[in-house]
Amino acid sequence: MEKKSLWAKLTASREASLLVVLAVLLIVISILSPTFLSFTNVRQILLNNTLTMVMALGMLCVMLTAGIDISITSTLAFAGMTIGMLQKYDILHNTFLLFVIGSAIGLVCGFLNGIIIAKGKVAPIICTMGFMYIWRGMAYVISGNAWASGQDVAGFSDFGKDGSIGPYIILLVAYVTFFIVMKWTRFGRRIYAVGANPEAARISGINVDRTITSVYMIMGFLAGLAGVLSVSIYASAQPNMQYAKEMDVIAACVIGGVSMSGGRGSVVGTFLGALIIAIIAKALPLVGIDAIAQNLVKGIIILAVVILNVITQRMMDRQNLLRREL
Amino acid sequence: MAGKSGREISAVPQGGIKKTLLSWEGALLVVFIAINIFGVIISPNYNATNVLREMQKYLAEVFIMFGMGFILVLGDIDISVGSIVCLSATMACLSGNAGLPFPIVVLITLGVGLICGMINGLIATQFTELPTMIVTLGTQIIFRGIAEVSLGSGGSVSMQDVKGLMALGTKIGPFSISFILVIVSAIVFITILNKTSFGRKLYAIGSNKTAARYAGINVEKLRFICYSLIGFLAGVCGLFLLASLYGANTTTGNGFEMEVIAMCVFGGIATTGGKGNLIGGFIAAFVIICLRIALGQRNINTQLILVIIGAMLIVSVVIPAISGAITAKKKRASVN
Amino acid sequence: MKKKVLSVLLSTAMAATLLVGCGEQAAETAAPAAEEAAEAVEEAAPAEEAAAEEAAATDGATYAIVTKSAGNPFNERTASGFEEVITAAGLNCVVQHPESATADAQIAVIQSLISQGVSSIAVAANDANALTAALAEAKAAGIHVLTLDSDVNADSREVFCNQAGVQEIGQTLLDAVLDLTGGEGQYAILSATSQATNQNAWIDAMKSIAESDEKYSKLELVEVAYGDDEPQKSTDQTQALLQNYPDLKVICSPTTVGIAAAAKVLQDQGSSVKLTGLGLPSEMAEYIGDDDAHSCPYMFLWNPIDLGRLAAYTSIALVNGDITGATGDTFTAGDLGDYEVVEIDGATQIILGAPFKFDASNIDEWKSVY
Repeated sequence: MEKKSLWAKLTASREASLLVVLAVLLIVISILSPTFLSFTNVRQILLNNTLTMVMALGMLCVMLTAGIDISITSTLAFAGMTIGMLQKYDILHNTFLLFVIGSAIGLVCGFLNGIIIAKGKVAPIICTMGFMYIWRGMAYVISGNAWASGQDVAGFSDFGKDGSIGPYIILLVAYVTFFIVMKWTRFGRRIYAVGANPEAARISGINVDRTITSVYMIMGFLAGLAGVLSVSIYASAQPNMQYAKEMDVIAACVIGGVSMSGGRGSVVGTFLGALIIAIIAKALPLVGIDAIAQNLVKGIIILAVVILNVITQRMMDRQNLLRREL
Repeated sequence: MAGKSGREISAVPQGGIKKTLLSWEGALLVVFIAINIFGVIISPNYNATNVLREMQKYLAEVFIMFGMGFILVLGDIDISVGSIVCLSATMACLSGNAGLPFPIVVLITLGVGLICGMINGLIATQFTELPTMIVTLGTQIIFRGIAEVSLGSGGSVSMQDVKGLMALGTKIGPFSISFILVIVSAIVFITILNKTSFGRKLYAIGSNKTAARYAGINVEKLRFICYSLIGFLAGVCGLFLLASLYGANTTTGNGFEMEVIAMCVFGGIATTGGKGNLIGGFIAAFVIICLRIALGQRNINTQLILVIIGAMLIVSVVIPAISGAITAKKKRASVN
Repeated sequence: MKKKVLSVLLSTAMAATLLVGCGEQAAETAAPAAEEAAEAVEEAAPAEEAAAEEAAATDGATYAIVTKSAGNPFNERTASGFEEVITAAGLNCVVQHPESATADAQIAVIQSLISQGVSSIAVAANDANALTAALAEAKAAGIHVLTLDSDVNADSREVFCNQAGVQEIGQTLLDAVLDLTGGEGQYAILSATSQATNQNAWIDAMKSIAESDEKYSKLELVEVAYGDDEPQKSTDQTQALLQNYPDLKVICSPTTVGIAAAAKVLQDQGSSVKLTGLGLPSEMAEYIGDDDAHSCPYMFLWNPIDLGRLAAYTSIALVNGDITGATGDTFTAGDLGDYEVVEIDGATQIILGAPFKFDASNIDEWKSVY
């Protein structure tokens, strides 16, 4: 009896079906490229996908409230370009302050999104689409057609250097914090409540508008942070950086079982989803797929993973239903 | 997203809502005229001949806008259209260069678009749990991926025999074929969406999927039809885009999905489904096109034009929200 | 009532955003005085084509350059070189950076320039094929069309300002690979996108030269990887190259984004693999050096400012009728010297010069220039 309920609990969770998918993926890749699961590779996967993984946390919160934010990589570029320019023109070189400024810019961008969506009752995709154009354009405008490059960000880029533990710590802290906040704090529960049923949440005394605004602020903050990290990890700031990569972040969340209609999704699932996206990107050149066909294969895998997830979920639901009938 | 729209059953076109919509479209018309006056003032070259000529490239996108209007009214979204344009244009060039006669090339171009749309529709209706944004994100990468593979290492192809394409670019009076076709399609699609039971069913689905299903509407069939339609229209776009490019490459059609969605939204079609009117989208498309042309002629920083369009988008969605809130307050006050 | 409120609100908002746009415009124009003259004429007789023509006649010829994309220092330097020569000659200059690095975006810009009735368009093509229709329209409108940096089909333009001969670049890069490998071993190429015309031409040249000469027979090209000019993807691809080919000796990256990303990966890892290719000195200063602490011993590039200048002189020569773009035409490009139109592989072109070598000895002097 005890065991059965644990099994039922396991199969009912989306993370379980996701783990199956992840395992299948890893087995296939390891057969094709036996050294794939080496320490160096895992380290590089995490480092090179820090941005997606960090932003996926914010997207989780946004999507939990049934929202979406497609302006994140534009915010990233704007924040990243700003701190890049600050260094290029020798205005500021303090790593800590640069992090603060970049994140603050993101926070402001997120606040604008949030306030318009919450107070103006504007569809999130539209509002963030407007800002997607605006912040990306602003990144170009402030860059004045220049890049911040290796020599400009010399000291600062040590933080994100291959071998530095900085990005990993940020990643770890972010995920642990969000895991705790989303699971055990009132704020976390509020986000779920607003997403699951805004009406009910309002009646039960939750300030829905404030929750929604804060969710977009979190997203903006993380996008700004990702902008700073991007400049540090790649030792360059270009106005087109991470262009169109918001879709990777959204895909990571959806693969991780976050529902786009709100109320459902977890930090663990998001992590697994982001990991799957990262592994696909890393594995494609390693397993010897022709360079030209890599995008095609990437698309097929993403779609296959999403559909596979649906099918396993359906099977699990059916089994659970059968068991209940017994 | 679909879940959110469920509460507004009243959004099916009727007296009150229609009035509001009309006012939005009226405002857009004013803006359209204003933009044109503005264009004439700021640029000495802003005249009918030049604008109609520069419009060619953008007109191709307007075709997709009609399909996107249908999809958005359903409460769905399709972000794979840019890739469908790329794939159909690529296939057109490859088949044309293989020596096939032009009418066959046209059929292939449209057929590729239609098939891509049907694939989207099939996945979206078979796996209804999946948000359509994710489905079409997957196919977006796949369709462009197929084009990349077929184009090979050069990644680019030019149409060798351009006679057929030149014929597509011919003008009847001052108007090009694509311009006339856009106008005709506008009349057809606006009528379908506003006047037929098919159109009303789309609004019903967009307002409340479950209710629509209970009312006996075959929701999945209609969704499938709409996805096939937008795919087909993306094929049409590919064809006319080709007429102003004479070649295709892996970046062809990049970002069209966002531009088209922007046109719809600026035209008052809500992404949450069940609301909006294609007339608005149609006028909005020309507002954006004329604005781009006018600012372009003054050689304004292209990135700044994007900032302006982004700001316009936000302003256009915030205004109805504010004015709506004001009227709601007034109503409440008068009731009290 | 509500309708009116809406209209007014919307129109006001539009007007406001547009005004912002126009404010920016003032800073953009190279020859504001002439522009104002055009406006004065315009105000007198709005919407009449005659006015436009008159304006064009009074303010002299306008020369346009269309770069590959905005937000790229290489393109910016090229455009500044172009602008410098045109304005020094007392002519009007229009610099247009398309909104993205695609042919689609360049079409819109070229169409706009046709409307403006410019005298010449110099374009750095994002695609060899997809600009054909637009450029044909420009030519039909009596506009002189030339390309720089990256070419289009030969019959779509009058002449191509090439930064350096394709064979020359291929030879230079291959010799660098030969030198850095010590005469034998594996090397890989990290390119931009699979459809970048000039990248593909250089890579093909490297391959054919390697086959034609015995001294390259011990070099083995293991892979051509594509980083799509994105730092993240270029990083992934570089790491994959290192992992898939443990015996790899040299990576050659003929693209500015790719070489910078690869340089960082190699330098951070302290890899023994060496790097060469084409890169901007300002981007690469951090990585160039002879010792093991630096990943790139030397690399090459041409002067983007001079490339822009050459395109400007060529534009002027074409408009004045000094040259027609036919093989054997000669003209003087200011202080750049004398140039001749040559034909290579069926494409008429003007070659700027040999690629310039950047190494530890001269990088400091160049890194602030471009």
